[in-house]
This record gives sequence, C-alpha cells and structure tokens, in this order.
Amino acid sequence: MATHDELVARITDAFPGVGHTVTFDELTFHLGPDQIVDVLRFCKDDTVVAAELLTDVSGVHWPAGVDVIERQPSTTGWPDHVVSREQGVIDVLYVLRSLRNGHRIRLAVRVTDVDPVVPTSLTVYPNAANFHEREVHDMFGVVFSGHPDLTRILMPEDWIGHPHRKDYPLGGVDIPYKNDKHIPPPNERDLRVVTDSHGEVVTASSDAEEVVS
Amino acid sequence: MSSDLNTPTDPTHAGSDWDSDLFVDGADWESLPDAVEDDVMTINMGPQHPSTHGVLRLVLDLEGEKVLKVKPIIGYLHTGIEKNAEFRTWVQGTTFFTRMDYLAPLHNELAYCLGVEKLLGIEAPERAEAIRLILTEFNRIASHLVWLATGGMEVGAVNLMVYGFREREHILDLFESQSGLRMNHAYIRPGGLAQDVTDDFVERCEALLDYLPTRLREYEQLLSKNPIWNSRLRGVGTIDADTCLEYGITGPVLRAAGLGHDLRKTDPYCNVEQYEFDVPVHSDGDSWARYEVRLEEMRQSMRLIRQVLDKLPSSGPVMVQDKQIAWPSQQALGADGIGNSPDYIKHIMGESMEALINHFKLVTQGFTVPAGQVYSAVESPRGELGYNIVSTGTNRPYRVHVREPSFVNLQASDVMSAGHSVSDVIVVIASLDPVMGGVDR
Amino acid sequence: MGLEEKLPSGVLLTNLETIVNYSRSTSLWPATFGLACCAIEMMTSGASRYDLGRFGMEVFRASPRQADLMIVAGRVSNKMAPVLRRIYDQMSDPKWVLSMGVCATSGGMFNNYALVQGVDKIVPVDMYVPGCPPRPEMLIDGILKLREKIAGQTFEDQRSGMPQSLPMFDASTTTAPREASDLTRLEA
Repeated sequence: MATHDELVARITDAFPGVGHTVTFDELTFHLGPDQIVDVLRFCKDDTVVAAELLTDVSGVHWPAGVDVIERQPSTTGWPDHVVSREQGVIDVLYVLRSLRNGHRIRLAVRVTDVDPVVPTSLTVYPNAANFHEREVHDMFGVVFSGHPDLTRILMPEDWIGHPHRKDYPLGGVDIPYKNDKHIPPPNERDLRVVTDSHGEVVTASSDAEEVVS
Repeated sequence: MSSDLNTPTDPTHAGSDWDSDLFVDGADWESLPDAVEDDVMTINMGPQHPSTHGVLRLVLDLEGEKVLKVKPIIGYLHTGIEKNAEFRTWVQGTTFFTRMDYLAPLHNELAYCLGVEKLLGIEAPERAEAIRLILTEFNRIASHLVWLATGGMEVGAVNLMVYGFREREHILDLFESQSGLRMNHAYIRPGGLAQDVTDDFVERCEALLDYLPTRLREYEQLLSKNPIWNSRLRGVGTIDADTCLEYGITGPVLRAAGLGHDLRKTDPYCNVEQYEFDVPVHSDGDSWARYEVRLEEMRQSMRLIRQVLDKLPSSGPVMVQDKQIAWPSQQALGADGIGNSPDYIKHIMGESMEALINHFKLVTQGFTVPAGQVYSAVESPRGELGYNIVSTGTNRPYRVHVREPSFVNLQASDVMSAGHSVSDVIVVIASLDPVMGGVDR
Repeated sequence: MGLEEKLPSGVLLTNLETIVNYSRSTSLWPATFGLACCAIEMMTSGASRYDLGRFGMEVFRASPRQADLMIVAGRVSNKMAPVLRRIYDQMSDPKWVLSMGVCATSGGMFNNYALVQGVDKIVPVDMYVPGCPPRPEMLIDGILKLREKIAGQTFEDQRSGMPQSLPMFDASTTTAPREASDLTRLEA
C-alpha cells in the first residue's frame, strides 16, 4: 500500500512540473496535455505507482465568464454562488487504479475549452479508454489526437453541439400547468375581504377559516 | 455495394463493358473470385433484436458464418442523466442515478450516496450501513438471476426465463415491502436510508435465504451437466486476465479470467470487512467460467447476508442525526395510506416554527455540500461502478460522471467474439451481461 | 317469438366486426420493443407470476411483421426515434401501440435534450400506461382496456388509420382524428 507521500515523491521526481492536491483523502495530480502520455506510461510501468488499470476518463467544464448559481437568498439565507473565469477550461480526469498496491490516483489535465486537444491514452493503455475518450469527445468536444475512431458515441452522429458543456442548455419542453391560478401567500390572504353567507364582511383573519359559504 | 443489385442484368451483355468471363450459365466458376475468402459481409444486428440485451447495435463483419469483427454501436438509450443531475439537488440525484443500471438500482444509489457522504464528511449510522449491505447483496442475487434468465433464453433454455424471473419476484417482494417500489427505489439517500425497515424484515430475509439455495441447486442441476449448455458455453468468448486489464474490465468477467479483484475486499464499504465471504475466481476465462463465477457469487452473497442479519443492530437510527442533512420527513402509513406520520405533521405545523422552516428548506433547496471532488466506487454485479462527483459548495452537484462497468466491458466484445460464429456472439454478449441503461446513461 | 327461437342450438349469431375484433383483441402478439427499466417489468409480466399467457400474449414476436401490438417500454432517445418509427412502419395492419411507463408517455422525469418527450410525437398511441415503472398489474390493466377498445372498433376506424377516442368517453369530447401535435398542448 503506497502512501500519498510516496506517490507524490515518485511522480514529482520524474516530472517536476506536475502539481498535486490532496482533498477528501484523494490524491490528484495536475498536468498539461503535453505531459499526459508520459505520465501515464510512467504510472503504468513504475513499481510503486504500478497503475495497471485505467478506470475512468471523464471531463468537467469550467466555463468562461461569470457563473451564478442562484440559491434564493431571501428564503434560504444562502448567498448566490458566483464564480468568474476569464478563460473557460475543461478538466479531463483520469482515474488510475493499482491492483498490486491498492491505491487510486487521479490525473487532471486542464485544456482550454476552445479547440481542446489531448493526446490519446490508447498508446499506453491499449484499449481501456476507447469508449471513454469517445464519450468525452461527444459530450465536451475534446479531440483526442491519435484515437483510431473518434466519433460520437452517445448522441446521434449528426448531432450538433456538445451536451455536457455548461453553455449547452438542458433542453426539454416547457410544461405549463393547467388551471395555473395564482395562490396568494398566507399573509396576503388576511388582507382580502371575505364575506360570509349573509353578505356581511368578515374582517378578522382568524375567523376567516370558519366562514364556509 | 447495394447499387450492384439495381443494375439490370443483361444476359447477353453485348456491347457492355462487363468482364466478359462471367457467364450466367455457370461455365466459369473457376475464374470467379473465391466466394468465401474475398467476400466479407457486413451485417447489422439490432438495435431492436430479441437477443441484444436491450438497445445494443452490433455491426458484424462476417466471412460466411465466422465473425471477423464486431463493432458495438451504443447510445440508443442515452438519457442525459449526468447533465440532468446538475439541475437537481443532491437528494434528487438519487432518483436519477437509480435508473441507470436498472437491474441493480440499489448499487447505483449506494455508490452515489457514499460519494456524497464522503464530501459531506459524515458516515451513515451502523444500522443503515448494515441494511444497505443486505439490500445491495439481495440486489446482486436478483441481477444475476435476470442474467441467468435472459442468458438462458438466448442460448435456448427458454424455461430459465420463467424460473429466473420467478425467483426474482420473491426478492422484489422484499424490496417492495421495505422501500415501496419493486425497482428504481431511491431508498438509499445521502446520510442513510429514506425510512426504517419494517418489523418483519429479518424474518422475511431469512425466509428468502431458506428458499433460494434449493432453487439455485435445481438450476445448477439443470444446466451444469447439460451437454447443450456445455457446448454452447465452453470455450466461447475466451479472454485472459491481461487482456481484461488492457480493456479496463472488472467484475465477474475479470474474476472468471483468473484475477480475484473485488471491491468489497480491496476497498470495503458499508463495514463489509467484518464479515467472511469468498470471492469466486475461475481460471478459464470463457463464458462457462463466467457462468460458474456468477452462480457462486449468488451463494456467497447469501452467506454474507446471513452474517449481516445476525449482526444487525436491532434498533438505532437509519439516517444521520445531523439536522442540516437528514431527510426531514418521517413517513408512516397514515389514514389515507400515504404521507408523513401525523405526529410529525403536528410537530412542524403546530409546535415548532424552526422545524417547519428546516423541513421546508431541506425539501425544496436541499443541503449544501462542501466543494471538492471525490471518486467513490462499489462492486456492482457487473464490475466497478464508480462516481466521480464534483461539487462547488452549493446545493446542486456541479458534475457527476459515472464510470459504468457495462460501458467499459462492452469494449471487449470485439476481441471476445473474433473467430466465433454468429450464435456465439449472442453468448458472448450475454455472458458480459451489459445493461444498456448503464452503458448509455 | 323471434328468429332466435327458430334456430337450432349451437348456432351463434354475430356480425363480422365482432368476430374479427374478438380474434384480434384476444390474441394480440406484442413486438419486443423493450428499451429500459419498463422492459424488465414487461418481461416479468410475461413471466410466471403475472402471466400474460392467459391473455394470449406470451409470444413476444421479435419480427415486427408478425406482431400487432408494439409496447414501447422505456425511454425513447433521439437516436432511437427513427428506429422506433421504422419498426412501427414495418408492422402490418392492424396494429396498435401501447406506451408503457411515463418515459414513453411524456418523457417522464427526463425533461431534457436526449429524450423524445412522449412517443406519441412519433407514432400514434392507443393506450398510455403511466408508472415508473408500472407494476405488472398496471400493465395488464392497460392491456385489458386496450382489448376493450379493440373489441369496440369498427372497420371504418381501421381503414382511416387513426385511432379514435375510447368508447368509454362520452360524445361531448371530440371524435375527430387526433394529430400527434394536439397531444403536446395540455389545455382542455
């Protein structure tokens, strides 16, 4: 069982420009697209890192501009989550698993979201990421150079757009509800004028529930 | 190629630029191109086909009856679940992810909730973890029964379809009595379970555990010495452990190829390390080995469930006690048959304004999860089911990527069926056990 | 004193439509169009506990030429939609479509880019069975109601090719043939 420190030491010794973070007890290395093939080959061949299994290749899109996630501060008290980025990036994440030493590491390759190109991992792990890379290409538009068959895999072949990007809408239809009446909030109901069955005005709000005309 | 069929045949072919060696009276068969060697036929199987396990499309390059190349084309069930989860709260994500691999829905929920709990930094209570383990192991048995049923039907043993689904019905009865639904339960929530199990849970489980082994023995007696089953499955779709690792394959396929890698042993979850069970490993790597491994896995699951039932804490919470996270409603069967327990409603409506506000906030907005990313994986009946969850500290996931075992295992259908006949392709796909909902998500 | 008393016993009087509809409705052969989770519930409906064989429907014909009922069980993605339409076109008349589950009926919980929001945008549907997934009893209920509908159909309905409204609706509702686009508007 290799500890995080051993793994960090092995990889940063071989590739000095690679940064790392440890969050939630998981080790993530940050590198650029030009280093990924060499790092993957090192991870596979090294005796300490010994990553025989390329488990997962996925993507995360961090778009450019101001990204606001509204959380209705007036009702919840939580402030809106605002992030602004000048350059949109796509993180391509590789999760590697070592069966001998029993650990898992993640490699995060950051590319710009305009014409992203990453060399394919199929030269190192011959077939493990074939479908995964096609999926990242389909969903994010990342081009894996050297992939033998980089076509759309989940969407129809003639689909335009890359659905998992943040600037792609969720889609679907707008569902209007029948009988869409305005139901006033509780304190507004108190201010409405309510008449009872004799036509007399009932003004006290606590009596309003008992008036059934 | 099809345009050749439309060219009108001209028996005299006078004045045409045809190859004049070809005559329709058959005098020239020696000069014709060898029909077998040079004639590769491309045949399309699916997406609507009785044997392709859902909407899988296979394009086969055939030389006669022999398969040269298989190209799986997927995406016919793509539902955009991962993107849809970005627009829902963390708890609502459970209902989406449960519908991916619809034969083992509790595994999907479990992996997702383990990831969210890792981000939150909480642990579900012990009783919740034990019940989660029991239900997911029953789900493993149910999923393998469906594999046996559909696989058997595709090979030709049609009565297995009826038997497999009959046994599965008993397990689904158990699920229905606990979670309310036969499939796609959304029962495992971040923090624990949606509600506690019924009082007769342990008795029902034990009754099931008494009933199932006899049936499994019957099916094994029906199949294991059957010459047709043997000849259809032995030697078909052989793959060795190195090739499996090359393709990223995990699960029963890898264990049948000789490598005993099981996430319940290597990365234990739900306190499974305190129980004793074996991981079946076979060395042949063909469809027969996968059949044996799955049968034995069902038995080992039953052994595991018995131990968990013995150690199940008889009382205790099933949801984490943190008021910021725990699903607030307490469901009980009321007078109208549905809904919250009357005591709880009295409490939030009449007694405590804070409880009402808390309930409202948690149900409509959901809880916030700290920023970061985790990868959590469980051993689903098909292999390693992993979730890569990215959170930005809000009440909705930022990105959830699901590493589905069927998606990865399907890559190997080419190398496993090369050289076999078309009917063996069916057996290979059946023994890989892909679930297209998981493949396409 | 009618004609019935003059007839010898063992003679059944009926009309052609009734007898043809009887044979059509009581031996509907479903085409396998199981897509997702609802397909598993459809398979369990055909299995031994909720036996569809007692309704004459246990033969799920894989070839659409031999089937007359298409049970669209599961979510129909945009990639699958042309395949669905082609299978429907390959079925020979008379044919009926039962949309099983909310994903086939209206897109279900997946209101997004990937799914067709309701299979009635592609094929005309005769019966909708909601549920996620519907219990086998619900599916059987839908099938039985469809059988009643088929038994009540006239030859004129079949000739025009569009499904008419169910006989249990009263005459005040419209009986004009529905277009698929009508069904996306939810006003009464």
